[in-house]
Parts: sequence; structure tokens; C-alpha cells
Amino acid sequence: MIAVELRKLFRRPRTWVTIGLLNGLPVLVAVLLALTDLAPRPGEGPVFLSAVLTNGTLYPLAALAIVLPLFLPIAVSVVAGEAVAGEAQAGTLRYLLARPAGRTRLLIAKLVAVIAFVLVTVVVVAAVGYLTGQLLFDVSPIGGTALSGTTLTSQEIAGRTLLAIGYVTVSMLGVAAFALFFSTLTDSPLGATLGALAVLIASSLLFTLDAASAFAPYLPTRYWLAFVDLFRDPVLWRDVVRGVALQGVYVVVLVGAAWANFTTKDVTS
Amino acid sequence: MSDDPVIQTAGLVKRYGQLRAVDGIDLDVRAGDVYGFLGANGSGKTTTVRMLLGLVLPTRGEVRLLGEPMPRAARRVLPRVGALIEGPAHYGHLSGRANLALLDAAGPGGSRRTRKARIDTVLEQVGLAGVGRKPVKAYSLGMRQRLGLGAALLRRPELLVLDEPTNGLDPQGIHEIRDLLLELHRGGTTVFLSSHLLAEVEQLCTRVGVLDRGRLVLQDQLATLTAPTGATIVQTPDPGRVRAALDGRVLRTDGDRAVVRGADPAEVNAALVAAGVPVTGLALERPTLEEVVLAAASTSADRVDAPGERSRR
Amino acid sequence: MVGLVAVLLALPSVIGALPASDAGTPAADLRRAVLASADVPFAGYAQSAGGLDLPVGDQLTSAADLLSDRTTMRAWYRGPADWRVDVVAPTGETGVHADPGGTWTWTWERAVATRTAPSPLALPTAPDLLPSALGRRLLSEATDAELSRIGADRLAGRDALGVRLRPADTASSVSRVDVWVDDASGVPLRVQVFGADDGQAALDTGFLEFEPTTPPAEVTAFDPPPEAELREGQDAQLLQSATRAAADGHRVRLPAALAGLDRRTIEGAPRSVGLYGRGVTLLAVSPLPGRAADGLRDALVRAPGVVVDHLGVRISAGPLGLMLVDGEDGPVLLTGTVDLDALATAATDLVPAW
Repeated sequence: MIAVELRKLFRRPRTWVTIGLLNGLPVLVAVLLALTDLAPRPGEGPVFLSAVLTNGTLYPLAALAIVLPLFLPIAVSVVAGEAVAGEAQAGTLRYLLARPAGRTRLLIAKLVAVIAFVLVTVVVVAAVGYLTGQLLFDVSPIGGTALSGTTLTSQEIAGRTLLAIGYVTVSMLGVAAFALFFSTLTDSPLGATLGALAVLIASSLLFTLDAASAFAPYLPTRYWLAFVDLFRDPVLWRDVVRGVALQGVYVVVLVGAAWANFTTKDVTS
Repeated sequence: MSDDPVIQTAGLVKRYGQLRAVDGIDLDVRAGDVYGFLGANGSGKTTTVRMLLGLVLPTRGEVRLLGEPMPRAARRVLPRVGALIEGPAHYGHLSGRANLALLDAAGPGGSRRTRKARIDTVLEQVGLAGVGRKPVKAYSLGMRQRLGLGAALLRRPELLVLDEPTNGLDPQGIHEIRDLLLELHRGGTTVFLSSHLLAEVEQLCTRVGVLDRGRLVLQDQLATLTAPTGATIVQTPDPGRVRAALDGRVLRTDGDRAVVRGADPAEVNAALVAAGVPVTGLALERPTLEEVVLAAASTSADRVDAPGERSRR
Repeated sequence: MVGLVAVLLALPSVIGALPASDAGTPAADLRRAVLASADVPFAGYAQSAGGLDLPVGDQLTSAADLLSDRTTMRAWYRGPADWRVDVVAPTGETGVHADPGGTWTWTWERAVATRTAPSPLALPTAPDLLPSALGRRLLSEATDAELSRIGADRLAGRDALGVRLRPADTASSVSRVDVWVDDASGVPLRVQVFGADDGQAALDTGFLEFEPTTPPAEVTAFDPPPEAELREGQDAQLLQSATRAAADGHRVRLPAALAGLDRRTIEGAPRSVGLYGRGVTLLAVSPLPGRAADGLRDALVRAPGVVVDHLGVRISAGPLGLMLVDGEDGPVLLTGTVDLDALATAATDLVPAW
């Protein structure tokens, strides 16, 4: 069942178009930076971006930082919102369930497929970012500088970049779980996607609001930028650990709710 | 063919708020039946079919499919059932073959080893063998219908649950599919055919159930329902003279037809010829399925036993 | 399911609420323990939140941000002359590494490493907001009569004993300072400074994580990375201004006491700058060049709550007071933890012509 869902997802042209579009922005930014040599002013713009002009090794991270706030969650919401509601809208859901695919199995397979999409997307963004960084910017042979001012070897940077890829993937799971849950509520994939994006935007807004600081630690976007902490020296694990745990709670609760709803739902699409 | 129950429901109820979409029906479909499930749009046909397949959960009542309770035993039962529910649905960007392969891989009971051969066979059966790698979104409505039927046949099901299977097909297509279903039936497949096309059901089915406003108002063998009524239809250019010759036996006349009480056309003929009435045709009167259904679907007490009166209203 | 979530969510607050044992330590002993804790090594993670919105111009931006924003810090402390404090921002980092010869300040966003020699009078920076440093500084000149005990709490997973400082000076705008001291090591774990109104803390800084272990030397050491731009640290602009003003012949006659606060001397500070008071009640007086004063005045008069009268322009933000006075030779800046009345008194003391 999982293999079926993965095949469905990755044989779909739209999946690759989405991933391609997602990579467009970081590449465009890199080209503009390389052509104009105008880095954003320090402390402004996406993190790591001002550093890449001197060292392209960090461009995979700059690329992730560029897509993290909006592009990536939109793509994840679209794919996860599509998961069940898309099958319902196309009418294929009734055939899958009459096959029988099993509602729980189907939901788990959809979840795994969405996670796979996130991982593939993040890896592709980092890989394209790596190529872009190597081609367009000067690359320091000895590695790069951590946020704390210590020098990281190329191996250390590679290792921490892999961790960052993993962390960004995990960060997207909360959004994915929201979209998946909404996807079991409605037969409209667009509705599910917009629902998840509404949660996302509300979370980003509340995060900036002091009055909402009481529940700021529980907002799904709260620890998204913590992948930056992996490039401090020593690594600051505090927010990374919390971010992973928070996303875990969101996934457990929302997938549980999605399961409870989907397994008892009348499929009338 | 045995008499094993294939579909059985007991007091099946589905309520949406105040509305009783399905109101206590007891279906009884036996092995070897070609069961015609008739009803107007909104009569609860679709909801019933979905409850049979475990898509909609009953408010009350039981469903047994192939002798096992649904939806509890869905994982054991449904691989032995093929279904076409409210029109076909496929992944438009994939070929028909890829669609069938994905659906087959999505559940139990479809061996991976035999998959390709089985797909080839059903594509042949439904007349799509030569369709190639064209994506389904380029298919015509009829081709999609055929592909949907093919998906239902993939695992040689013991029971086929079909909802309007000839929808969108041209007359030749309808004929082909009818032949295919009859062939499958001869091979031992039980067919549950939900339709609003009376002619289709009349031509195919051995057993009929009629749903009206959520209630099963009729369920019987087609042969019994359309059995002779005990009257003879006389074709004659002069129905008035029939009335004169067989006074009291004529039930009604219209045009060049007279309906005469008496289940023996030879005796009627002899009486008319003796009276010098020209007879151009004689036949036993049988109610058409349409008449049966219309009568059953009405709310009045008069049912199948008085089709003539029904038609005059 | 729901129960599990509830338990997960409640867990941190349940653990945080575990009763802290209150050893019967007197307040004076607690203060001595704090002052003796300068050699206690530790590693920690702290956050400070300031509610001090000072409407100042470009002159004081970094210091004003520090007192009005939430600042997150990581600290490694091996000793008074060997420590490191990183201000962790979501998209960058500023690290201060101290060694016996001064400090390196590394700003990642600009890739700049700044070497600064020790300065007797500098504007506050992030390391000054670390509870350990701030608590020690605020308690350093407190008298035993000003101190009282306020129970105990669990902070950063440790037992903390509370000591409260109520400044005796009537001029003080600080109503009280609460310091929560690690029972085991004497290091302050949390410091809260309250303004005249006993409401929310004007400044609240505390450790969220605290480990009394010696951090490795390589963590506090700093070698400027190859691509870093190296700079020499300079005195704060305001001090430069004061020095420049003094050099221009603009001097302030500094009396021995202002608003009832005695003058104190600071080794190495510019002679034109005067510092008055004791403990947490301090008042600084310095001449300003006309240009800098104009900028500051423009920013001040537009701020809400500002008082403009014949004495000058004055404003308070929590316990911080700021006043710009037109002296005989030019503008004079008065600033410190004194209330508006004390500022007015100080202004009249300073310019007796009024």
C-alpha cells in the first residue's frame, strides 16, 4: 500500500513541477546575488544569505532558509491536503476502499507518502542549493564559519547540513498533519490545503504577538528556524529537541484525529 | 449453481439527520442470480450499494456479503467482490494499464505474479486491449466505463456489484457489455446490477428488487413478476365486435386491441372466429417490468395484481 | 489519547511546581554567597526580557534594544576573566569572549570581530544582563537593612533562594530587586527589577538551564576566523560625545551631591562625566555636544509621557530616567535609576541660576 502511494505521488507530473518551482526561487536569488554582488544587509533577509557571497558552501542552507517560511509549507499543504480529499474528489477513494485498501492502512500510506515528499523536496532543494553554491560563488576549501565564529571543516558542514535537512523535514510534519487531518474532513483538496495554510499563517502571526506569548511555545511554526542552531558551536540542541518533540505531538494528535474521523466516516464521494 | 446467500441485509437503515435514506431493507441475493436493483434517483439505491461495500456505515441493521458480516470482514470479503460504483474513476495522468496495476496492488488478494496476465485478460474482455499507453484523461466516457468494468473484473470476483455499467456506451458497446456479463454469469459469477434502465434489467436479470423512498417494495424472480396475468390480448381491426361476441369477458379495449379474460388463446380464438370476428393476432397478456415497477413504486395498495388499472390512471 | 496529550502538556509545569526547599539562610548570608560566587564556573542558557522603552535616537539604540527586547543568551563561565556569552538571535549570533586582556566581540551577520579593552564606564551589553553578573552587581552595594528573604523557588531545575532588595534612597526609581540565588553555588539564577509601580518587572532575566560544571577552555577561547574583519573596540558614542564636548571647552560644574546622592569616583572615566549614588540608585551626568543633544531632544519631545518645562526635557521608562538640561555651557544629559522628581531636583542643583 505504501509502495502504491509512493508510486502514485512520484509518477505524478505535478509533484515534480511543484518541486521544480520550489527550487526556482533559491536559484533566482543565487543568480541575482552572483550578478549584482549585493548581499542583503546583515541581519536582514533569510539567514545565511549574507554569508554565501564569501563562501558558497553554505548555499544549501540559504536555499532552505529561503523556501522554509512559505514555499515549502505551501507545497507540503498542497500535497498533504490532496492526500485523501484529492482521491475523494476524483472518485478514486471509493474504489480504493472497496478494493479494499483498508482505511487505516490508506491513511498511514498517505502519511508516509507525504513524509517522503517532504524529504525528497528538502533534499532536492539542498542539492540544487549545493550545485548553485558551487557554481556561482567562491567556495572556501577549508569549510566555513559557524555562527559562533569557529571554523567548521567541510565534513562538519556536510554532517550538519544533513541534520538540518532532517530537521526541516520534521518541521514540516506539523503542517502536513494539519493538511492530512483537514483532508479527511472535506472532499475538496483546495479546502484542506487552505485550512492548513490558515493554521500556518495564524501561527506565524501569533508568534510575533507578545500577547500570545503564553502559547507561543506550542505554535507549530515556533521552532522552525532552530535548524540555524545546528550551525552554532557548540550546537544548541535545546530548540531543535523541542521542535522535534512539538512536531511529534502535532503529528500524533492530528493523525489520531484524522484516523478517528476517517475510519468512521461515510464515504459518499 | 447453489442457493447460497451472496448478499443479505437485515433491517438495514441509514439515517442522515431526520431523513431516512434507507429505511429497513432486507435484500436477498443468491449465488447465481443476476439481480436487478431498481429505483428512481434518490430512492436510496446508491446509499444501499455503498453500505454493501462498507463505504457508508449503516445506522442500524446488518449486511452479510458472501456469508460474512460487513464491514467487519471487509478485508476477507471485498477481494472476492468486484465493484463499479456510480461511474468509473481513475488517475487521469496514468494509462489504463497503470491504473489497473495500482488498484490491484492497493489491496489484498491480487497476486503480483499474475497481475500482468490478469490485466491483459480483462483489457481484452472489456475491449481495451489495443489502447496502449494513452493516459486515461484522453479516454472517451465509454472507454472509461469499460476500464472501470475491467477494474471490477481483475480478481475474477464471485460477486459483481455494478452501478449503471452501460452508462456512456453506444448501442454496440451496451450489447458487448451485456454479452460479457451474461458470459460471466454463466461462468458462475453473481451479478448485482443497480440501474434505472428497465430494459437493461429486463434483458439481463433473473431477479429484481425495487427500492422506493428507502423501502424495498418488491423483491422477486423476474419470471414470477412478469408471469401471465390470465388474460389474452386480441389484435383485431374491430375491437367493438369482440366486446359483442365475448360479452362480459372483455376487460378493456384500446385502438385495435382488446384484452379478454382467459388464459387460453386458442379458446379465445375459437370463440371469436365462431362469432366471425377478424383476428390478426393473439397473445397471452404479461405485465412489462415497467408496469410492475411503476405499480410497486406507488404508495397505493394496488400492486402487481392489477397492472391494467394502473396503466389507465 | 486526549489524556496522554494533557499529561504531556502538563508535565513541564508539574515538574516546575515541585516544592522547592527553603533553607533558612538569612538574607545577608545569601548576599555574601552571591558576592563570593564570582569564581563559580557554570554553563547556562538564559533569557532576559526588558520592558524599558526608552525613546532615544540612534545614540543608544543597541543599549535600548537590550533593555526593551527579549534577549536569549548562552553562557560559559570559567572565571571572571575567562567566559563567553552568545546572544542567540533566530538568524544570527553575537558572541562576547572575555580573556584577561579584554573581550572579543564576534558578530556573525557582519563577520566582524572586535577587540575591546576593559572599560570602566561602558553602556550595558548583553553579558551584563546575565543573571549571575547582574545579580552580583545589584547586590554588591546593598546594606543588610535593605535586604529581606522572599522564600524559595525551582529555577532551571535547581533550588533557588530569594532575596529582596528595597533601596533606601528616596530618589530611587527602583522599588525593589528580587534575586533568586542557586542554593548550592550562590550564583544568581534570576533577577527581577521592579520600577516604582509594583507591577510587572521592568527587567526580568533568568537562567532556563544552568549547570555548575567547568566548561572546556576551547569553548570560551576565540580565534578570529580567516574571513573576519578585525576592528578595534571604541568607547560608546555617548562617552565619545562627552569627551568631545569636554574637549570643546564645554564643561559641567559637578557638585559633591545631586538630589541627595553623593558623588562617587570611577577610575579611568572621563573627568567630565559625573556619577552619583550608591547600589541600584545611580545618576550619571555628562555634557553633550549640541548636535547630539538636538537629535536626542527631537526624539524625546515626541515620546509619550515626556515632561517639558523650564528645567528641560525629562522622561522615565520604568525605573530608568533621562533628562536633557540646558547648562551654562551647553546641553547636559542626566540619566539613571532615579525618578522624575529627583531628576528635576538634580537639574536645579546643577544649574543654580534657576
